[in-house]
Amino acid sequence: MRKLLVIGALVAFAVPLVVHAQTGAAGKDVGTVNTKKRSAVPTGPVPRLPNGHPDLNGVWVGGGPINDLEKDGGLKPGEIDSLLLPWAKELMSKRDVTLEPHNQCLPMGVPRTTPFPFRFLQNYTDKQATHLYILHEGNIHTYRQIFMDGRQHPPADELDSTWLGHSIGRWDGDTLVIDTVGFNDRWWFDRRGHPHTEQLHTIERWTRKDLGHMENVVTIDDPGAYSKPFTVRFMATWTPGDELLEYICQENNQYGVETLPGGKPAADTDNSGRK
Amino acid sequence: MRKLLATVSAALLGMAVPALAHHSVAGEYDVNKPVTIKGTVSKLEWTNPHSRIYVDVKDASGKVTTWNFELAARSALTRQGWTGKSVKIGDTVTVEGDLARSGVTGAHARTVLLADGTKVLSGANDN
Repeated sequence: MRKLLVIGALVAFAVPLVVHAQTGAAGKDVGTVNTKKRSAVPTGPVPRLPNGHPDLNGVWVGGGPINDLEKDGGLKPGEIDSLLLPWAKELMSKRDVTLEPHNQCLPMGVPRTTPFPFRFLQNYTDKQATHLYILHEGNIHTYRQIFMDGRQHPPADELDSTWLGHSIGRWDGDTLVIDTVGFNDRWWFDRRGHPHTEQLHTIERWTRKDLGHMENVVTIDDPGAYSKPFTVRFMATWTPGDELLEYICQENNQYGVETLPGGKPAADTDNSGRK
Repeated sequence: MRKLLATVSAALLGMAVPALAHHSVAGEYDVNKPVTIKGTVSKLEWTNPHSRIYVDVKDASGKVTTWNFELAARSALTRQGWTGKSVKIGDTVTVEGDLARSGVTGAHARTVLLADGTKVLSGANDN
Protein backbone atom coordinates (compact mmCIF):
# COMPACT_ATOMS: atom_id res chain seq x y z
CA MET A 1 0.00 0.00 0.00
CA ARG A 2 2.80 2.38 0.92
CA LYS A 3 4.51 1.54 -2.33
CA LEU A 4 1.31 2.37 -4.20
CA LEU A 5 1.02 5.69 -2.41
CA VAL A 6 4.59 6.58 -3.22
CA ILE A 7 4.06 5.76 -6.88
CA GLY A 8 0.83 7.75 -6.87
CA ALA A 9 2.54 10.74 -5.32
CA LEU A 10 5.36 10.58 -7.84
CA VAL A 11 2.92 10.46 -10.73
CA ALA A 12 1.03 13.43 -9.33
CA PHE A 13 4.18 15.49 -8.99
CA ALA A 14 5.44 14.51 -12.40
CA VAL A 15 2.36 15.79 -14.20
CA PRO A 16 3.24 19.17 -15.59
CA LEU A 17 1.01 22.00 -14.64
CA VAL A 18 0.08 24.25 -17.51
CA VAL A 19 -0.40 27.65 -16.05
CA HIS A 20 -2.39 30.20 -17.90
CA ALA A 21 -3.59 32.32 -15.11
CA GLN A 22 -3.77 35.92 -16.15
CA THR A 23 -4.51 37.48 -12.85
CA GLY A 24 -3.86 41.11 -13.57
CA ALA A 25 -5.95 44.06 -12.55
CA ALA A 26 -7.75 44.05 -15.88
CA GLY A 27 -9.58 40.90 -14.88
CA LYS A 28 -10.21 37.69 -16.73
CA ASP A 29 -10.50 37.20 -20.44
CA VAL A 30 -13.97 37.78 -21.77
CA GLY A 31 -13.91 35.26 -24.58
CA THR A 32 -14.31 37.56 -27.53
CA VAL A 33 -11.92 37.89 -30.43
CA ASN A 34 -13.40 41.10 -31.78
CA THR A 35 -10.35 43.04 -30.76
CA LYS A 36 -11.65 46.27 -32.20
CA LYS A 37 -13.93 46.42 -29.20
CA ARG A 38 -11.07 46.35 -26.78
CA SER A 39 -9.91 49.40 -24.94
CA ALA A 40 -6.43 50.86 -24.89
CA VAL A 41 -3.48 48.75 -23.78
CA PRO A 42 -3.99 48.18 -20.05
CA THR A 43 -1.55 49.40 -17.46
CA GLY A 44 -1.05 48.27 -13.91
CA PRO A 45 1.29 46.15 -11.87
CA VAL A 46 3.08 43.15 -13.34
CA PRO A 47 1.16 39.97 -12.44
CA ARG A 48 3.19 37.20 -10.86
CA LEU A 49 3.11 33.43 -10.74
CA PRO A 50 2.86 31.57 -7.42
CA ASN A 51 6.64 31.07 -7.54
CA GLY A 52 7.18 34.82 -7.68
CA HIS A 53 8.36 35.13 -11.27
CA PRO A 54 6.52 37.52 -13.58
CA ASP A 55 3.48 36.00 -15.23
CA LEU A 56 4.08 36.41 -18.96
CA ASN A 57 1.18 34.20 -20.02
CA GLY A 58 -1.29 35.71 -22.42
CA VAL A 59 -1.89 36.79 -25.98
CA TRP A 60 0.48 39.48 -27.22
CA VAL A 61 1.19 41.38 -30.41
CA GLY A 62 4.41 43.03 -31.57
CA GLY A 63 7.69 42.38 -29.83
CA GLY A 64 9.77 41.91 -32.98
CA PRO A 65 10.49 43.21 -36.47
CA ILE A 66 8.27 42.76 -39.51
CA ASN A 67 9.39 45.09 -42.28
CA ASP A 68 12.79 46.33 -41.18
CA LEU A 69 14.98 44.89 -38.43
CA GLU A 70 16.93 48.14 -38.24
CA LYS A 71 14.04 50.60 -38.13
CA ASP A 72 11.60 48.42 -36.20
CA GLY A 73 14.41 47.69 -33.72
CA GLY A 74 14.87 51.35 -32.89
CA LEU A 75 18.14 51.88 -34.73
CA LYS A 76 19.14 54.64 -37.13
CA PRO A 77 19.49 53.98 -40.86
CA GLY A 78 22.76 52.22 -41.52
CA GLU A 79 23.44 51.06 -37.98
CA ILE A 80 22.91 47.44 -38.95
CA ASP A 81 23.53 47.71 -42.66
CA SER A 82 27.02 49.10 -42.05
CA LEU A 83 27.89 45.91 -40.17
CA LEU A 84 27.04 43.61 -43.06
CA LEU A 85 29.99 41.65 -44.36
CA PRO A 86 30.53 42.18 -48.11
CA TRP A 87 28.99 38.88 -49.19
CA ALA A 88 25.96 39.45 -46.95
CA LYS A 89 25.50 42.99 -48.24
CA GLU A 90 25.56 41.72 -51.80
CA LEU A 91 23.10 38.94 -50.99
CA MET A 92 20.70 41.38 -49.35
CA SER A 93 20.87 43.76 -52.31
CA LYS A 94 19.80 40.97 -54.64
CA ARG A 95 16.95 39.62 -52.56
CA ASP A 96 13.48 39.91 -54.05
CA VAL A 97 10.79 40.46 -51.45
CA THR A 98 8.31 38.54 -53.55
CA LEU A 99 10.43 35.44 -53.06
CA GLU A 100 10.98 35.64 -49.32
CA PRO A 101 10.41 32.33 -47.54
CA HIS A 102 7.93 33.76 -45.06
CA ASN A 103 5.53 34.61 -47.89
CA GLN A 104 5.73 31.00 -48.98
CA CYS A 105 4.25 30.04 -45.60
CA LEU A 106 7.61 29.05 -44.13
CA PRO A 107 8.69 29.93 -40.55
CA MET A 108 10.04 33.37 -39.77
CA GLY A 109 12.93 32.70 -37.38
CA VAL A 110 13.90 34.90 -34.43
CA PRO A 111 13.14 37.65 -33.40
CA ARG A 112 10.74 38.33 -36.27
CA THR A 113 7.02 38.60 -35.61
CA THR A 114 3.87 39.23 -37.64
CA PRO A 115 0.85 41.53 -37.39
CA PHE A 116 -0.91 38.57 -35.82
CA PRO A 117 -0.85 37.66 -32.13
CA PHE A 118 1.20 35.10 -30.28
CA ARG A 119 0.73 33.46 -26.91
CA PHE A 120 3.31 33.06 -24.18
CA LEU A 121 2.67 29.84 -22.28
CA GLN A 122 4.77 29.15 -19.19
CA ASN A 123 4.74 25.53 -18.15
CA TYR A 124 6.07 24.21 -14.87
CA THR A 125 5.62 21.52 -12.26
CA ASP A 126 5.33 22.15 -8.55
CA LYS A 127 9.10 21.98 -8.41
CA GLN A 128 10.39 23.98 -11.35
CA ALA A 129 9.72 25.58 -14.68
CA THR A 130 9.96 23.09 -17.52
CA HIS A 131 9.24 24.94 -20.75
CA LEU A 132 8.11 28.20 -22.19
CA TYR A 133 6.16 27.92 -25.40
CA ILE A 134 5.69 30.85 -27.74
CA LEU A 135 2.78 30.00 -29.98
CA HIS A 136 2.48 32.05 -33.15
CA GLU A 137 -0.82 32.36 -34.98
CA GLY A 138 0.73 33.48 -38.26
CA ASN A 139 1.90 33.56 -40.83
CA ILE A 140 2.01 29.90 -40.21
CA HIS A 141 1.17 28.28 -36.94
CA THR A 142 4.52 27.74 -35.30
CA TYR A 143 5.66 27.14 -31.77
CA ARG A 144 8.95 27.96 -30.18
CA GLN A 145 10.00 25.58 -27.43
CA ILE A 146 12.26 27.11 -24.81
CA PHE A 147 13.74 24.73 -22.25
CA MET A 148 13.52 26.24 -18.77
CA ASP A 149 14.81 23.24 -16.82
CA GLY A 150 18.44 24.28 -16.67
CA ARG A 151 19.75 22.20 -19.51
CA GLN A 152 22.40 23.59 -21.84
CA HIS A 153 22.62 23.69 -25.62
CA PRO A 154 23.89 20.53 -27.26
CA PRO A 155 27.57 20.64 -28.24
CA ALA A 156 28.08 22.59 -31.44
CA ASP A 157 28.96 19.49 -33.42
CA GLU A 158 25.69 17.88 -32.37
CA LEU A 159 23.44 20.81 -33.30
CA ASP A 160 21.30 20.01 -36.29
CA SER A 161 20.21 23.36 -37.69
CA THR A 162 16.51 24.19 -37.66
CA TRP A 163 14.25 27.10 -38.58
CA LEU A 164 13.79 28.19 -34.96
CA GLY A 165 16.96 26.84 -33.39
CA HIS A 166 17.58 25.40 -29.94
CA SER A 167 16.40 27.66 -27.14
CA ILE A 168 17.15 27.63 -23.41
CA GLY A 169 15.70 30.10 -20.94
CA ARG A 170 16.52 31.43 -17.50
CA TRP A 171 15.49 34.28 -15.25
CA ASP A 172 17.75 37.23 -14.63
CA GLY A 173 15.78 38.96 -11.88
CA ASP A 174 12.44 39.76 -13.48
CA THR A 175 13.80 39.41 -17.00
CA LEU A 176 13.34 36.21 -18.96
CA VAL A 177 16.48 35.50 -20.97
CA ILE A 178 16.15 33.22 -24.01
CA ASP A 179 19.38 32.03 -25.59
CA THR A 180 19.10 30.41 -29.01
CA VAL A 181 21.60 28.78 -31.35
CA GLY A 182 21.36 26.15 -34.06
CA PHE A 183 19.43 28.12 -36.67
CA ASN A 184 19.40 27.28 -40.33
CA ASP A 185 20.07 30.15 -42.75
CA ARG A 186 16.86 29.86 -44.76
CA TRP A 187 14.72 32.60 -43.22
CA TRP A 188 15.04 36.38 -43.41
CA PHE A 189 15.09 38.78 -40.46
CA ASP A 190 12.58 41.06 -42.21
CA ARG A 191 10.99 41.99 -45.51
CA ARG A 192 14.12 43.93 -46.44
CA GLY A 193 15.98 40.66 -46.49
CA HIS A 194 18.57 41.08 -43.75
CA PRO A 195 20.47 37.79 -43.94
CA HIS A 196 22.17 35.53 -41.41
CA THR A 197 24.19 32.34 -41.27
CA GLU A 198 24.10 29.17 -39.19
CA GLN A 199 26.52 30.89 -36.81
CA LEU A 200 23.66 33.09 -35.58
CA HIS A 201 23.26 33.35 -31.82
CA THR A 202 20.35 35.36 -30.41
CA ILE A 203 19.81 36.46 -26.83
CA GLU A 204 16.33 37.77 -26.10
CA ARG A 205 15.64 39.61 -22.87
CA TRP A 206 11.88 39.77 -22.24
CA THR A 207 10.78 42.10 -19.43
CA ARG A 208 7.15 42.73 -18.61
CA LYS A 209 7.24 46.43 -17.85
CA ASP A 210 3.65 46.64 -16.62
CA LEU A 211 0.38 44.80 -17.13
CA GLY A 212 0.09 45.64 -20.82
CA HIS A 213 3.66 46.01 -22.06
CA MET A 214 6.52 43.57 -22.47
CA GLU A 215 9.90 44.71 -23.78
CA ASN A 216 12.10 42.46 -25.89
CA VAL A 217 15.74 43.49 -26.12
CA VAL A 218 17.57 41.24 -28.54
CA THR A 219 21.29 40.86 -29.06
CA ILE A 220 22.09 39.43 -32.47
CA ASP A 221 25.52 37.90 -32.89
CA ASP A 222 26.36 36.38 -36.24
CA PRO A 223 30.04 36.62 -37.13
CA GLY A 224 29.24 34.90 -40.40
CA ALA A 225 27.23 37.85 -41.71
CA TYR A 226 27.92 40.89 -39.49
CA SER A 227 31.18 42.45 -38.35
CA LYS A 228 30.06 42.68 -34.71
CA PRO A 229 27.01 41.96 -32.52
CA PHE A 230 24.21 44.50 -32.31
CA THR A 231 21.12 45.04 -30.15
CA VAL A 232 17.57 45.83 -31.20
CA ARG A 233 14.58 46.71 -29.01
CA PHE A 234 10.90 45.96 -29.43
CA MET A 235 7.73 46.26 -27.37
CA ALA A 236 4.90 43.75 -27.26
CA THR A 237 1.46 44.68 -25.99
CA TRP A 238 -1.01 42.44 -24.20
CA THR A 239 -4.37 41.99 -25.87
CA PRO A 240 -6.83 40.87 -23.20
CA GLY A 241 -9.92 39.29 -24.70
CA ASP A 242 -8.08 38.05 -27.75
CA GLU A 243 -7.39 34.41 -28.55
CA LEU A 244 -5.30 32.68 -31.15
CA LEU A 245 -7.37 31.91 -34.24
CA GLU A 246 -6.84 29.32 -36.89
CA TYR A 247 -4.47 30.50 -39.61
CA ILE A 248 -3.66 27.93 -42.23
CA CYS A 249 -1.26 29.81 -44.46
CA GLN A 250 -1.06 27.01 -47.01
CA GLU A 251 -4.83 27.07 -47.50
CA ASN A 252 -5.08 29.82 -50.10
CA ASN A 253 -1.71 31.48 -50.56
CA GLN A 254 -1.77 33.14 -53.96
CA TYR A 255 1.13 35.43 -53.17
CA GLY A 256 4.13 34.71 -55.30
CA VAL A 257 2.17 31.97 -56.98
CA GLU A 258 -0.48 33.29 -59.31
CA THR A 259 -0.16 37.01 -58.74
CA LEU A 260 3.59 37.35 -58.78
CA PRO A 261 4.44 40.72 -60.35
CA GLY A 262 5.25 40.04 -63.95
CA GLY A 263 3.88 36.56 -63.67
CA LYS A 264 0.89 35.03 -65.32
CA PRO A 265 -2.09 33.22 -63.88
CA ALA A 266 -1.79 29.47 -63.71
CA ALA A 267 -3.02 27.66 -66.78
CA ASP A 268 -6.05 26.22 -65.05
CA THR A 269 -7.40 29.57 -63.91
CA ASP A 270 -9.22 32.39 -65.61
CA ASN A 271 -7.66 35.85 -65.58
CA SER A 272 -8.99 36.54 -62.10
CA GLY A 273 -6.79 33.77 -60.79
CA ARG A 274 -9.93 31.82 -59.91
CA LYS A 275 -9.69 28.10 -60.46
CA MET B 1 -24.71 41.43 -38.16
CA ARG B 2 -24.67 44.29 -40.62
CA LYS B 3 -25.38 46.71 -37.83
CA LEU B 4 -22.43 45.27 -36.00
CA LEU B 5 -20.22 45.61 -39.04
CA ALA B 6 -21.32 49.19 -39.54
CA THR B 7 -20.50 49.96 -35.95
CA VAL B 8 -17.14 48.32 -36.21
CA SER B 9 -16.40 50.11 -39.47
CA ALA B 10 -17.36 53.46 -38.00
CA ALA B 11 -15.12 52.83 -35.03
CA LEU B 12 -12.27 51.89 -37.30
CA LEU B 13 -12.45 55.06 -39.34
CA GLY B 14 -11.14 57.05 -36.45
CA MET B 15 -8.22 54.90 -35.53
CA ALA B 16 -5.03 53.62 -36.99
CA VAL B 17 -5.41 50.19 -38.52
CA PRO B 18 -2.46 47.91 -37.89
CA ALA B 19 -0.74 46.02 -40.65
CA LEU B 20 -2.75 42.92 -41.32
CA ALA B 21 -1.32 41.51 -44.49
CA HIS B 22 1.09 38.63 -44.59
CA HIS B 23 3.10 40.27 -47.33
CA SER B 24 4.01 43.73 -48.53
CA VAL B 25 0.90 45.04 -50.28
CA ALA B 26 2.79 47.79 -52.07
CA GLY B 27 4.88 45.24 -53.92
CA GLU B 28 1.88 43.53 -55.36
CA TYR B 29 -0.68 46.32 -55.76
CA ASP B 30 -0.37 49.88 -57.06
CA VAL B 31 -1.83 52.47 -54.69
CA ASN B 32 -1.63 54.99 -57.53
CA LYS B 33 -4.15 52.98 -59.52
CA PRO B 34 -7.30 52.93 -57.42
CA VAL B 35 -10.33 51.13 -58.80
CA THR B 36 -14.00 51.08 -57.89
CA ILE B 37 -15.82 48.01 -59.14
CA LYS B 38 -19.53 47.24 -58.81
CA GLY B 39 -20.78 43.77 -59.51
CA THR B 40 -22.14 40.53 -58.18
CA VAL B 41 -20.27 38.30 -55.77
CA SER B 42 -19.68 35.00 -57.58
CA LYS B 43 -17.35 33.34 -55.11
CA LEU B 44 -16.13 33.87 -51.57
CA GLU B 45 -12.95 32.36 -50.16
CA TRP B 46 -13.09 32.70 -46.37
CA THR B 47 -9.49 31.64 -45.97
CA ASN B 48 -5.95 32.39 -44.82
CA PRO B 49 -3.52 33.92 -45.43
CA HIS B 50 -6.04 36.13 -47.19
CA SER B 51 -9.72 35.99 -47.78
CA ARG B 52 -10.92 36.81 -51.25
CA ILE B 53 -14.14 37.76 -52.95
CA TYR B 54 -14.67 37.35 -56.68
CA VAL B 55 -16.99 39.86 -58.30
CA ASP B 56 -18.57 39.42 -61.73
CA VAL B 57 -19.01 42.58 -63.76
CA LYS B 58 -21.11 42.58 -66.93
CA ASP B 59 -20.38 45.18 -69.61
CA ALA B 60 -22.79 46.65 -72.16
CA SER B 61 -22.23 43.77 -74.55
CA GLY B 62 -23.06 41.25 -71.88
CA LYS B 63 -19.49 40.06 -71.44
CA VAL B 64 -18.72 39.08 -67.85
CA THR B 65 -15.36 39.85 -66.28
CA THR B 66 -14.46 38.39 -62.92
CA TRP B 67 -12.45 40.49 -60.48
CA ASN B 68 -10.32 38.87 -57.77
CA PHE B 69 -10.27 41.04 -54.64
CA GLU B 70 -7.82 40.27 -51.90
CA LEU B 71 -8.96 40.97 -48.34
CA ALA B 72 -7.15 40.54 -45.05
CA ALA B 73 -6.61 37.18 -43.42
CA ARG B 74 -9.71 35.37 -42.25
CA SER B 75 -8.45 35.66 -38.68
CA ALA B 76 -7.93 39.40 -39.04
CA LEU B 77 -11.41 39.88 -40.47
CA THR B 78 -12.88 37.85 -37.65
CA ARG B 79 -11.28 40.24 -35.20
CA GLN B 80 -13.08 43.08 -37.00
CA GLY B 81 -16.46 41.44 -36.75
CA TRP B 82 -16.69 39.66 -40.10
CA THR B 83 -17.99 36.15 -40.47
CA GLY B 84 -18.09 33.86 -43.45
CA LYS B 85 -21.65 35.12 -44.06
CA SER B 86 -20.92 38.83 -44.03
CA VAL B 87 -20.79 38.80 -47.82
CA LYS B 88 -22.73 36.14 -49.69
CA ILE B 89 -22.70 34.84 -53.23
CA GLY B 90 -25.18 36.85 -55.25
CA ASP B 91 -24.75 40.03 -53.20
CA THR B 92 -24.30 43.21 -55.15
CA VAL B 93 -21.22 44.97 -53.88
CA THR B 94 -19.08 47.95 -54.72
CA VAL B 95 -15.42 47.40 -53.96
CA GLU B 96 -12.80 50.10 -53.71
CA GLY B 97 -9.22 48.96 -53.96
CA ASP B 98 -5.82 49.20 -55.56
CA LEU B 99 -5.10 47.51 -58.87
CA ALA B 100 -2.89 44.43 -59.07
CA ARG B 101 0.47 45.01 -60.70
CA SER B 102 0.59 41.57 -62.24
CA GLY B 103 -1.97 41.99 -64.96
CA VAL B 104 -4.43 39.75 -63.20
CA THR B 105 -7.92 41.24 -63.12
CA GLY B 106 -7.79 41.91 -59.45
CA ALA B 107 -7.16 44.42 -56.71
CA HIS B 108 -6.39 44.80 -53.06
CA ALA B 109 -9.72 45.74 -51.53
CA ARG B 110 -9.89 48.63 -49.11
CA THR B 111 -13.63 48.83 -48.61
CA VAL B 112 -16.60 46.72 -49.59
CA LEU B 113 -19.95 48.52 -49.91
CA LEU B 114 -22.95 46.26 -49.56
CA ALA B 115 -26.17 46.81 -51.46
CA ASP B 116 -27.95 48.13 -48.37
CA GLY B 117 -25.38 50.87 -48.00
CA THR B 118 -23.34 49.18 -45.30
CA LYS B 119 -19.67 49.80 -45.85
CA VAL B 120 -17.26 47.28 -44.43
CA LEU B 121 -13.52 47.55 -44.44
CA SER B 122 -11.47 44.84 -46.03
CA GLY B 123 -9.05 44.91 -43.15
CA ALA B 124 -6.32 44.38 -45.67
CA ASN B 125 -4.40 47.51 -44.82
CA ASP B 126 -0.67 47.27 -44.86
CA ASN B 127 2.09 49.61 -43.86
